[in-house]
Amino acid sequence: MVQLRPRASRAPASASAMVDEGQPASEEAEHGLLLGQPSSGAAAEPLEEDGDGDGDEWDDEAPEELTFASAQAEAREEERRVRETARRDKTLLKEKRKRREELFIEQKKRKLLPDAVLEKLTAASQTGIKKSPGKLKEDNLQKKNEECEKRSESKKVKEKVQSIGQNKSYVARRLKDQDLRDSRQQAAIAFIQNSLYGPGTNRTTVNKFLSLNNKRLPVKKAAVQFLNNGWGTQKKQNAKRFKRRWMVRKMKTSKK
Amino acid sequence: MGEFKVHRVRFFNYVPSGIRCVAYNNQSNRLAVSRTDGTVEIYNLSANYFQEKFFPGHESRATEALCWAKGQRLFSAGLNGEIIEYDLQALNIKYSMDAFGGPIWSMAASPSGSQLLVGCEDGSVKLFQINPDKIQFERNFDRQKSRILSLSWHPSGTHIAAGSIDCISVFDVKSGSAIHKMLVDRQYMGVSKRKCIIWGVAFLSDGTVISVDSAGKVQFWDSATGTLVKTHLVANADVQSIAVSDQEDSFVVGTAEGTVFHFQLVSVTSNSSEKQWVRTKPFQHHTHDVRTVAHSPTALISGGTDTHLVIRPLMEKVEVKNYDAALRKITFPHRRLISCSKKRQLLLFQFSHHLDLWRLGSTVATGKTSGKFLVPGKHGDTLPLSKDADHLLHLKTKVSKMPAFLRSAVQILFSEDSTKLFVASNQGSLHIIRLLEGSFKHLHTFQAQSGTVESMCLLAVSPDGNWLAASGTSAGVHVYNVKRLKLHCTVPAYNFPVTALAIAPKTNNLVIAHSDQQIFEYSIPDKQYTEWSRTIQKQGFHYLWLQRDTPITHISFHPKRPMHILLHDAYMFCIIDKSLPLPNDKTLLYNPLPPTNESDVIRRRTAHAFKISKRYKPLLFMDLLDERTLVAVERPLDDIIAQLPPPIKKKKFGT
Repeated sequence: MVQLRPRASRAPASASAMVDEGQPASEEAEHGLLLGQPSSGAAAEPLEEDGDGDGDEWDDEAPEELTFASAQAEAREEERRVRETARRDKTLLKEKRKRREELFIEQKKRKLLPDAVLEKLTAASQTGIKKSPGKLKEDNLQKKNEECEKRSESKKVKEKVQSIGQNKSYVARRLKDQDLRDSRQQAAIAFIQNSLYGPGTNRTTVNKFLSLNNKRLPVKKAAVQFLNNGWGTQKKQNAKRFKRRWMVRKMKTSKK
Repeated sequence: MGEFKVHRVRFFNYVPSGIRCVAYNNQSNRLAVSRTDGTVEIYNLSANYFQEKFFPGHESRATEALCWAKGQRLFSAGLNGEIIEYDLQALNIKYSMDAFGGPIWSMAASPSGSQLLVGCEDGSVKLFQINPDKIQFERNFDRQKSRILSLSWHPSGTHIAAGSIDCISVFDVKSGSAIHKMLVDRQYMGVSKRKCIIWGVAFLSDGTVISVDSAGKVQFWDSATGTLVKTHLVANADVQSIAVSDQEDSFVVGTAEGTVFHFQLVSVTSNSSEKQWVRTKPFQHHTHDVRTVAHSPTALISGGTDTHLVIRPLMEKVEVKNYDAALRKITFPHRRLISCSKKRQLLLFQFSHHLDLWRLGSTVATGKTSGKFLVPGKHGDTLPLSKDADHLLHLKTKVSKMPAFLRSAVQILFSEDSTKLFVASNQGSLHIIRLLEGSFKHLHTFQAQSGTVESMCLLAVSPDGNWLAASGTSAGVHVYNVKRLKLHCTVPAYNFPVTALAIAPKTNNLVIAHSDQQIFEYSIPDKQYTEWSRTIQKQGFHYLWLQRDTPITHISFHPKRPMHILLHDAYMFCIIDKSLPLPNDKTLLYNPLPPTNESDVIRRRTAHAFKISKRYKPLLFMDLLDERTLVAVERPLDDIIAQLPPPIKKKKFGT
């Protein structure tokens, strides 16, 4: 059996552990428990030994003399710095979020009609209900409601304003129900779209589909939609405009 | 005939929407077809597959299911959660009832025709009672976990099969509870990741449930035990529709690759009584998904995303083997969507939600209106339109209000000098309105005769402004005297619907084209058929003329030559010269272009009254602008196909 020389630990526990358990570590050290933590009392042991027990062979590099207390202090500083930066980041984020929310609230306020108009509306609607018992064609209003389903609520109010203003008869609908119904309809449409054309389905473009025949002919022909007409529309427009202007200029100079 | 300059117009961007549902009605031999934009069309299969009625659609009313109930009542249900009943007489929607289950995916009428079953998004199956005036909610069945995508009644009306995602449930109608729940295998091309969607179910009277799903399988289940009997792997893509014949000895399925398969019940050996289902015939008439199929006693009907309606008569079921047993593919509309102003050289294109006005020779005005506005006709225009029955009619000029009775117009026509407007309303009455500078004045109303308005109303006015012809009542074509504001005469009724109507300029002859390719000429001042009309009826039309697939949608006349009638259908246009002899069955109908080096004798022998040219096809509209110019609006099929949604990929060797 080889007797191994007892070595001081090279890599003690992390600095934070050291810092937090500074007190119990010292106690343990006093008790003489070698858990890899050198006793704080024996301040002679260097923490950062680069070599191992064979350190005395490399005498050219004298290990740094670091006291435990200084190292501890350093570690504590670092820890504090990290905490400070984290706190700063958090506060910055919070501020950003606050600013953004305020911005949104402002925008929303701008979109909505001023309160005075809204009050007038509700008053008018109540009188309107009493006045006109007749019913407009339900289909018409249904269509109107469905047309404005995609716009925001404020615009829906605007739509109602118009109908009330012209003193037509109408059918009342709860907007909350409309939103629920619309979300369901959107979900249904998304389901069908996904199951027929979504990922996992084996679809191809119409161009490729129709060009299959052309590829198998004895004399191979081009694809059915060979040209991509939607390419470079802006460039083509600019070119057209330039050509027109150039022609006009040419005409002017040739006249002179 | 003479030479004409032809304006060939190809910029009419007409794209029909794909067919979503098809429902066949056995008693009246009619087919109801609904499209993805919500339009519902009704075809009369016995009147040469003519499109009789047309309900314009709206995206919010996009239908997912269509069915006929007892007494010729048509119901549809869509993703907006409502069940809609259509009024086939007045051509509008009777009422729509919300089912309160979320979007509705499927609907089936009971075999007795008095109950309606609806499958909703939230997994509930709802039963409605069909009353004479409305439908009424009866009760809910047990709620399932996922959306109910297909429904089928047992022929006795006691059980129901409902297909949802990954499972099929069999319900008992009396108790409303689910008896069996059959789980469907998800495997699709070796992968089990995607959910298996049961697109269609069918319940046979011996208790077999046939299901088609998105993994490309057709499966036979036994509903008494809830077990799988047989699987047929039919396609590499979804199988999207199924329809069973009434005798239950054959059914048809449609796949997403465009193939339609016919399954038949055949005996195992030639003289045994045991029968089994065998896949007999594949048909590839579509390029895109076949979303719906129907099975009539003699034909297989299929329709899908590529917008064609294909009717394939089955040879073994057809009694008389004549041209009626040929394949019918209906692609182009049977109504006129384009009108032309001759003096101003303007064309008006009618889309589903807007109108486009173009000037010939250069494209100047493209007025995109919202469909509620009608661009008023300029001087000399005749603009007949068939308007959406729901939209109110407004004139774009300073007209303030329209009277209440003009709420829903089926057909509108301006007079030749644009001072009068003739409106055919959907209640069967005809209104005449005089248009003045800033207002209008209602002149007269011709009430409907006894009986109701049945098919599409067509109007025609004579160029001198005296006569107005209206078709649409089952009693024949009525001719009204506009100056004296009373009914002049009625052309005797014919059992096929009218497809086109026009009055000749000087002779005031009314030319009527019917859906069985018969043409009549009726002289209005004399109140009888003309000599020429009688001769051609006695002799009969050429057999090739009668075998044409598409109806004649427009008739016009030459201003200087009263003996010429110009008419067209989707694949040819023809100038009938009444002075030349009529062809009999032995002569060539489609004459080639007259070569100048042929001898005179041959030319005289082969010259006959019908000068047909197939040069411009497919034609949507053709008219004489003036003496020397024709305008032809074509719509090549490739342009329509280029704008369709993506089809399923097909792997071919060598590509």
